[in-house]
Amino acid sequence: MPPWVKPLGVTVAFLAMIPFAVIARARVTASPDPRIHIIRDMDNQAYFKAQSSNPLFADGRAMRPPVPGTVARGEDELDDHRYRGTTPDGATYVDAFPEGLTVDAALLERGRGRYQVFCAPCHGVAGYGDGPVHHQALAAINRGRPGMEWVTPTSLHAENVRGFQVGRIFHVITNGVRNMAPYGAQVPVDDRWAIAAYVKALQASQRTED
Amino acid sequence: MSWNAPQKVIFPRWVDPLVKLAGAGAVLGGAYVAMLVAYGASPKTLDVGYAPEQPVPYSHTLHVGQLGLDCRYCHTSVERGPHANVPPTATCMNCHTKVLTESPQLAPVRESAQTGKPIPWVRVHDLPDYVYFDHSAHVTRGIGCVSCHGRVDTMDIVQQVATLSMAWCIDCHRHPERHLRPPEEATNMTWAPPGGGSVEAREAFGRQFRLDHKINPPTDCSTCHR
Ligand code: HEC
Ligand code: HEC
Ligand code: HEC
Ligand code: HEC
Ligand code: HEC
Ligand code: HEC
Repeated sequence: MPPWVKPLGVTVAFLAMIPFAVIARARVTASPDPRIHIIRDMDNQAYFKAQSSNPLFADGRAMRPPVPGTVARGEDELDDHRYRGTTPDGATYVDAFPEGLTVDAALLERGRGRYQVFCAPCHGVAGYGDGPVHHQALAAINRGRPGMEWVTPTSLHAENVRGFQVGRIFHVITNGVRNMAPYGAQVPVDDRWAIAAYVKALQASQRTED
Repeated sequence: MSWNAPQKVIFPRWVDPLVKLAGAGAVLGGAYVAMLVAYGASPKTLDVGYAPEQPVPYSHTLHVGQLGLDCRYCHTSVERGPHANVPPTATCMNCHTKVLTESPQLAPVRESAQTGKPIPWVRVHDLPDYVYFDHSAHVTRGIGCVSCHGRVDTMDIVQQVATLSMAWCIDCHRHPERHLRPPEEATNMTWAPPGGGSVEAREAFGRQFRLDHKINPPTDCSTCHR
């Protein structure tokens, strides 16, 4: 055998390991590069999935938002009590739950869960206005970060808030108030009533006088 | 030279062992290419670890890990429908009208809120279009986000941690025990059963939970290909 066969064999064997090393590295590192997609089959079909983009529209949304001024069909949202928490003339907030909603342990439990998702970040688990977002915002102010216009979330045990009717709490969740953003788009109607019920229960639980 | 006496090519004697070597090389080479393709083109290599750069450097580590926001604060539809929505700009503006209103990193968010044009988030997970997947069917039946998306609360940039291959779906549909948990804990990234976080404790909890709640993930083709 000529002398070059052995070194050649060793070199080839060595070079052959390199692709494996490269792949092994690729398997354990994250990469922003688009995925390599070899066999495309019918993976991407000519229809739009939820929240995908469509270049035909100026804003790029494939899911079209309703035209401004669109009203829901049916009589449903005409119910002021259920959808706005007010009396039909809109003059005062109601202090009762809408028809068909029973205030029981299940509703309060639902309300507790929803409260923790949507309200506790700012108002705190116990409702004193001391949630983690509030603390983080204070810390950012202390660090001197610009553009901090943070307003302290109201304590839900403040004298005036304790006096709120359930309808008013529902209304605050739905439409927001002054510096608090509305949560109507994030929380369905029944869940908003559940949160209102839970807030009432929370207020009662923290009441020490009388 | 007559036509029926072609000249013989005479190979040197050292070629003999090389012929055998070449045979072995062809076999080895074939095996090598097969292994390389299997390893290199597996979903574990191609799909896992995809972490595209986003138009806004939004961080789950900050918003979930530090601020303690629940996944459902933003991904509101995850319990209600098949699709888990990426939040609209209005959700960010709940806070960012008051927080860091001058941050250059948030400029695209403010612009989107003003013009109504959506932020062009880059999709991370993407099943083939012929697969039907339903978030609510999993999240409300005791599978947590962490089983499929990993520790999102420690990701500054979201990355794909599961292959999303058919084998991956089916593996869990056959043996979901170690992933099961009470549905209220679906968004808890660090939930562990009372007995601790070991695989045995999870499986023991999962077996009981599966019986109690009649969890029976289907494996017929029409579940996912409809
Ligand atoms: C992003 C932080 C944030 C979240 C989340 C939040 N709030 Fe508020 N909330 C505020 C702030 C700030 C105020 C004070 C507004 C003001 O006085 O300008 C407030 C005020 C209130 C008030 C008093 C309103 C009044 O008329 O004085 C109530 C009641 C309330 N919030 C309930 C809720 C409920 C219920 C939720 C959950 C659905 C919730 N909030 C979620 C920040 C928040
Ligand atoms: C403050 C809002 C917010 C919260 C809270 C939040 N996310 Fe997200 N999430 C986003 C946004 C915005 C994106 C899109 C940008 C990106 O991919 O980073 C996203 C993207 C994702 C993606 C990738 C989506 C894709 O394109 O495939 C996953 C998975 C995800 N989030 C899971 C979670 C989980 C799990 C939690 C709870 C632990 C959570 N998120 C909490 C806002 C949020
Ligand atoms: C519940 C309140 C809240 C929501 C909702 C929220 N953020 Fe934030 N975000 C914060 C706070 C507080 C900080 C500041 C943390 C700090 O600097 O200490 C922050 C910081 C940021 C930063 C870093 C900016 C910088 O200059 O350091 C980015 C980027 C950001 N958020 C993007 C988003 C996006 C995108 C969304 C919507 C998907 C969103 N946030 C929703 C509270 C929120
Ligand atoms: C059983 C596995 C599984 C669980 C559990 C799960 N996901 Fe997903 N998620 C997926 C898959 C698969 C996709 C890709 C869907 C597609 O491409 O249609 C996805 C996509 C997403 C997306 C991006 C949607 C899009 O199309 O842009 C978000 C956001 C998300 N998941 C959030 C969550 C959150 C939050 C939870 C927990 C409450 C969760 N997921 C639980 C498997 C799961
Ligand atoms: C971590 C475990 C797990 C993974 C991974 C998983 N599933 Fe599931 N899947 C479940 C469980 C548990 C159920 C609920 C079964 C029940 O309700 O009895 C379910 C239910 C479903 C259902 C609803 C079935 C029905 O008709 O009720 C569909 C569809 C589905 N899975 C598709 C998928 C697809 C597609 C994937 C892969 C992309 C996937 N699943 C990955 C555990 C998982
Ligand atoms: C639990 C959900 C689930 C079930 C049940 C399921 N599949 Fe799939 N299937 C998937 C997913 C997810 C993919 C996409 C895999 C990928 O992206 O590589 C897929 C891909 C496929 C493909 C395309 C493979 C390719 O790479 O081109 C075929 C063919 C297929 N499935 C056939 C079947 C048949 C036949 C059955 C019934 C025996 C079945 N599937 C049951 C989830 C499922």
